[in-house]
Amino acid sequence: MRARFFFVVIAAVSGSLLHAQRPPARDTLAPTGLREPPAIRTIAVDQRLIAREGVQLGDTLTLRSAPTADRANARAQRVVIGAVTAREADPSEVARSEYRVRLHLDQLQSLIDYGDRVDRIAVQLHPGRDATRAAARINAAAFGFRAHRSRDIAVTAGRTFQVVERFHTAIGVITIVASAVFLLCILLLKVDERKRDVAALRLMGLSRATVARALTLEAAAVALIGSVLGAVLGSAIALAVNWYYQRAYDTPLVFAFITRDTVLLATALSLVLGVLAGLGAAWRLVRTPPLALFGR
Amino acid sequence: MTAVVLDAEQVERTYAQAERGARGVTAVRGVSLRVHAGEYVALVGPSGCGKSTMLNLLGAIDVPTAGRVLLDGIDVRTLGDREATRLRLERVGFVFQRFYLMPTLTAAENVELPMAEAGVARRERASRARELLGYVGLGDRADHRPAQLSGGEQQRVAIARALANRPALVLADEPTGELDAATGDDIIALFERLNADGTTLVVVTHDERLATAARRVVHMKDGRIVDDRVVRPLLGRTA
Ligand SMILES: Nc1ncnc2c1ncn2[C@@H]1O[C@H](COP(=O)(O)OP(=O)(O)OP(=O)(O)O)[C@@H](O)[C@H]1O
Ligand SMILES: [Mg+2]
Repeated sequence: MRARFFFVVIAAVSGSLLHAQRPPARDTLAPTGLREPPAIRTIAVDQRLIAREGVQLGDTLTLRSAPTADRANARAQRVVIGAVTAREADPSEVARSEYRVRLHLDQLQSLIDYGDRVDRIAVQLHPGRDATRAAARINAAAFGFRAHRSRDIAVTAGRTFQVVERFHTAIGVITIVASAVFLLCILLLKVDERKRDVAALRLMGLSRATVARALTLEAAAVALIGSVLGAVLGSAIALAVNWYYQRAYDTPLVFAFITRDTVLLATALSLVLGVLAGLGAAWRLVRTPPLALFGR
Repeated sequence: MTAVVLDAEQVERTYAQAERGARGVTAVRGVSLRVHAGEYVALVGPSGCGKSTMLNLLGAIDVPTAGRVLLDGIDVRTLGDREATRLRLERVGFVFQRFYLMPTLTAAENVELPMAEAGVARRERASRARELLGYVGLGDRADHRPAQLSGGEQQRVAIARALANRPALVLADEPTGELDAATGDDIIALFERLNADGTTLVVVTHDERLATAARRVVHMKDGRIVDDRVVRPLLGRTA
């Protein structure tokens, strides 16, 4: 695992998370503008790293700017774990195996030898401040970069979510409808038996309408039962899929879920299919003379 | 003179051949047969001589290609599918070799089926179904499904079902064909009782004992009636 200790680092401009964890006796740790930073600084690390590597709050780590293989050329910095961050349920993050570490900006700059070059800076506003105005003011003063509201950037992620959600619905509907259709097929496979039943009913004097109604009702009932089985099956599969992938990717992200709407949509679809199939089969069967149905 | 229930005049039935150009099979050739109310007729003869075909014509299941069949005075050929179906429902009871009970319904529900179609009220249906099942000796099996019944019992349920709408005429095609001798005897006894109680019966059979139980035996061969004799007088007339 080459990437294991090659931390992807992002700048955390707001130090609030770190402040909260700072031991009272070491208030000199606070980033205080132009003053020299202290020898050992705090960082925030990914919860999973805590779990995997058996480190904990207060432990001292060495951060390197390059994988361990390049140890000779890498810059190193000793840091203390001051905070833990939890992973969020973000589909765009799920396949990433790196761990994220948050550092103070100046510390990051010195670690990666970027000087004062920065790709992205996140600015957290005090609650209630207008992000649009803040961005506009930054843009008015900025040279060489642009400020965007996080909501505008999040739109792309939101679309991803929408696509994923439609995908979930599709899978759920397919599972449920497929179960119903499967049962319907079994029903239709028994059509030879049904032929004789229909013939006997017609010879006994049951009208075409009565027989057709019975067959259609039966198909609808089968479709309904199929939908219920499908919903149960789908939910069970969703549980299993979530259990497996949430463990595999170590994320709270829900991969598959069957909602009430999915079940309703799929049941409605199955019912329509079932009734159509029933009507079709019934139409064929009652139009055939009963004696021919006996298959002589 | 009792009423004529069935009157077949010079009836012919030719089955069209599936292949083009091939000649059709004439299963019944110019048969005339008159059945009075209360008769018990056995239709016998070698396999393929046209017995089933004849029975289907008598029961308004099939239509003759020539001649005519009057059922209760109604010419079957003039009826559309809807009327013929109604006529069968109300006037004719059918008993098949293979019972054809609905597997998902109980014995009682099977018997109720034709009554429901005829519009009999639910409560009357239920009580008549119990009564008919009692008549065929299955009063205690009303709530059993066909799979829980023996062949002979299933056939008795089928007979109860045939009697559901109090038909003037019961037609049976090999009713003992699927049953062993002892079980067949039960059915034969039941038919005799049915006839003694006034139901007109026409039975197609290979079963010697069933044929000798009938009061009139009609022999067919190659689509024609070759012999027709009353072997025992009608009960109604001797009484
Ligand atoms: N649907 C059909 N199409 C063509 N031929 C038929 C059809 N039904 C019957 N036949 C022919 O008509 C003839 C009489 O048949 P039918 O079934 O009436 O005989 P059956 O006397 O009842 O014979 P079995 O005692 O074996 O039941 C036979 O030659 C048969 O092959
Ligand atoms: Mg036959």
